[in-house]
Amino acid sequence: MFVITEQPLDPAELVEAVRQDESGAVALFYGVVRNENMGRAVQHLEYDAYPEMALKKMREVADEVRARFPVTGVGVMHRTGRVEIGETSLLVAVSSAHRAASFEACHYAVDRIKQIVPVWKKEVWEDGEEWIEGHVPEIPGTPPPA
Amino acid sequence: MTTVSIRLYAGLQGLIGARDISMELPAGATVGALRERLGELYPAVQAFLPTLVCAVDEEYVAPEHVLRDGDHVALIPPVSGGCACS
Repeated sequence: MFVITEQPLDPAELVEAVRQDESGAVALFYGVVRNENMGRAVQHLEYDAYPEMALKKMREVADEVRARFPVTGVGVMHRTGRVEIGETSLLVAVSSAHRAASFEACHYAVDRIKQIVPVWKKEVWEDGEEWIEGHVPEIPGTPPPA
Repeated sequence: MTTVSIRLYAGLQGLIGARDISMELPAGATVGALRERLGELYPAVQAFLPTLVCAVDEEYVAPEHVLRDGDHVALIPPVSGGCACS
C-alpha cells in the first residue's frame, strides 16, 4: 500500500495492508511534526508533493527493500498540505517472518524515502516560513551527487 | 521548436509565482539548456540551479537528456519529506 493524501494517516490500515499470514513481525515508523527545529519554534508544517512520481518512488524504495531484506510486505503513507504539531506526516510499515529484518528494513526505507521521494516541507514559524532543503535525489544511471 | 510544460514545486513555485509555466526551446534542446534558459528568464532561480534536478515522465534525468515536444518537466528542489527527525 502506497498513499499520498491530505487526510490524516491511519496506521492500523497500513499495518493490516503489509501483514501477511507468513509475517511474525511488523515494524511501524511514525514521522511526527515536532514543535521546534534548529532552535526555532515551529507552528505547523506544510507539505508539497509531486504525487504521481512520489508514489512511483515509494514503490522503488519498496523494491529496494525487498531486494535487500527478507520481508513479507512494505507500505508507505505520506501526508501533504498543512500538518499540525503532534500529527503524523509519514508512516512506513514493514513486515517480515522474524523481527530483525523488519527493524532493519524499516530504517532503510525511511532513509531512502527522505532521499528520493519528491515531497517537500515548509516550516511555518510565528515570524516567517521557509521551505526546507533536504537531499538532492540521485539520477538513475549516474554516480550519486557528492 | 520544442515546447515543454514545466511544473514547479515547493519554494520554486513561490519564486516564479506560478505552479505551471511553458517554455519554447530549439529542437533537440537538452535539460541542461532548459535549466540555462530558466536562469535567464527568472534570475531569482539561479541560486537554486546547482541543486535542482529535473524529472521527465516521472523519472529524474541528467542534463544531457534530450527533450521532446510536449514533454512535461518537473523541477525538483532537494527533497525534504517525512519528519525533521534526521
